[in-house]
Amino acid sequence: MSERITDHPVLDPIERKKEVSFLFNGKSYKGYEGEPIAAALLANNIRTLRYHEESGSPRGIYCNIGHCFECRVTVNEKQGLRACLTPLKEGMEIQSSGMLPTPVKEWRETHV
Amino acid sequence: MYDVIIIGAGPAGLSAAATTANQGLEVLVVDEYMKAGGRLLGQLYEEPDGTYWNGIKESNHLYERANQSGAEIKLGTSILNIEKSGDVWLVYTEKDTYETSHLLLATGAAESPSPVPGWTLPGVMSVGAAQVMTNVHRVKPGKRGVIIGVNPLAAVIASELQMAGVEVTALTLPQMNGLNEEAAHPKQVMNQLLHVAHMAPSALIRQGSKWMKPSIMQDLGITFYPKSGFKMWGIPVHLRKAVTEILGDEKVAAVKLATVKPNGDVIEGTEEIITCDFVCIAGGLYPLTELAAVAGCPFYLVDELGGYVPLHNERMETALDGLYVAGNITGIEGAKVAIAQGVTAGLTMASNHGVQGLKDRIEQSIEEIEQTRDNAPFHFHPDVKKGKQIVQEKWEEMMAAEQPL
Amino acid sequence: MKQQDFLVCRCEEVTYNELMETASRTGCTARELKLRTRAGMGYCGGRTCRPLVQQITQKLEKAPHTRVTLKYQPPVRPISFGDLGGGEE
Repeated sequence: MSERITDHPVLDPIERKKEVSFLFNGKSYKGYEGEPIAAALLANNIRTLRYHEESGSPRGIYCNIGHCFECRVTVNEKQGLRACLTPLKEGMEIQSSGMLPTPVKEWRETHV
Repeated sequence: MYDVIIIGAGPAGLSAAATTANQGLEVLVVDEYMKAGGRLLGQLYEEPDGTYWNGIKESNHLYERANQSGAEIKLGTSILNIEKSGDVWLVYTEKDTYETSHLLLATGAAESPSPVPGWTLPGVMSVGAAQVMTNVHRVKPGKRGVIIGVNPLAAVIASELQMAGVEVTALTLPQMNGLNEEAAHPKQVMNQLLHVAHMAPSALIRQGSKWMKPSIMQDLGITFYPKSGFKMWGIPVHLRKAVTEILGDEKVAAVKLATVKPNGDVIEGTEEIITCDFVCIAGGLYPLTELAAVAGCPFYLVDELGGYVPLHNERMETALDGLYVAGNITGIEGAKVAIAQGVTAGLTMASNHGVQGLKDRIEQSIEEIEQTRDNAPFHFHPDVKKGKQIVQEKWEEMMAAEQPL
Repeated sequence: MKQQDFLVCRCEEVTYNELMETASRTGCTARELKLRTRAGMGYCGGRTCRPLVQQITQKLEKAPHTRVTLKYQPPVRPISFGDLGGGEE
């Protein structure tokens, strides 16, 4: 279970803009406008952001600053956005992606 | 057309932006993150004088200074490519292409992974990811975590997590494999820790740094190292235990921890299960140089600086006309060094653009980088000064050669 | 204790054993190892596993590649076909 830090002993409170609603895989959640989608989802205890295209293994945030692309999601039908870099907005429809039919792995097994 | 474009709004980029804009140049700063500050944003540690280095405040301060001096700062914008066309550098983003005479790459560092079985499970993240989630976005990465990798970065972030009320149940080694011999070898890790021993408020380590200097004593030190670890900021640090696997179905549920011999070999039958809901991988940082590489910069591998660095001189000029570097792209160091490097890069760009009378200030700023480095409370890489020397030598070799190497 | 196999390249799901085995069998360079296994050729552009892929072959080589890194190619971030074609979002 993850939660928000509201009372930090050293750091000043961050400015939380207005609370907004958004959809993740069809379910409604709440987060703060402008925070990264990844943070809003984690605060809602959601860690799995997509499933690997070939193996279907679950993936979540890894680097959290846009380098690793593990957190990519579809936002308002635009694919491949990094949840860690994309600011949350009211009414966003966020979708995680799943396994795709790709024969690349089999090709590799016979060609490496 | 800008006079200066700076890629990266971290400490180096922002300080270079303020410096160049104050010299009257037209400056654009681009960064793909939603906030300015780069890795500095997440930093929070106690200085030797008892005050806190607060990355958010420092970032805001640098941002305001750059902004007030007239630099334009575009956040949330990724750079796809850079290219020289005649005398002009072209900077491609998803939407627009910008042009500039002077281009500064201040792209910082990426985290090196230290993979262990199970590390793709949701809930496993780089230690920097946990830092940003906690300090910048104020969402706990989990309730109870294990940090794999015992190094300065891991230790600092562990203390930050704890400050924010996140339980860190252990800092521990990864099981040794062909990719992590140094980071998984108890004795070598102990040696590395001795370089930062003054940071550890632990009598064992502080005492240890005195009597463990001779190698034989280090052997003894690691042999007699308490199997239950010692505590740093109340967090157990294990140098004789290693994670052999991260367990979980849809997400992290536990790690499997085994006792290891002084050489890192796992002792059969010692495995224990530690429950946790998140795991951090602390493999260190390496310079993020991709844009320098696509531009065609000559590189050199300098382990003391964290990896391949684009060759550059003291004025932060690369071998390519109009292309400059500053910050962690030139080697892994603290934010204060990056800020100082940003000033030098900024002054050099202004001077090359035709601003007169900067020669002395550039010289002075180069000395300030040195001083800042000397005053740093600790170094990510203990031999960073040697690393910098290598870069200087390789630069001079390249300049002396007829043909670029 | 035997080391369990694990992924090195998260994007292309290339494992440690696969990389070590390919490198020792062929004695190849980092670039060739990348091309043979696809490690570092996935969505992230190799930003995550690049240091590891370089490290694997460095050990097998007589002279370390101090000047040559694994090739980087633009775009350094993925670009959608829509953006590539200058189309609307």
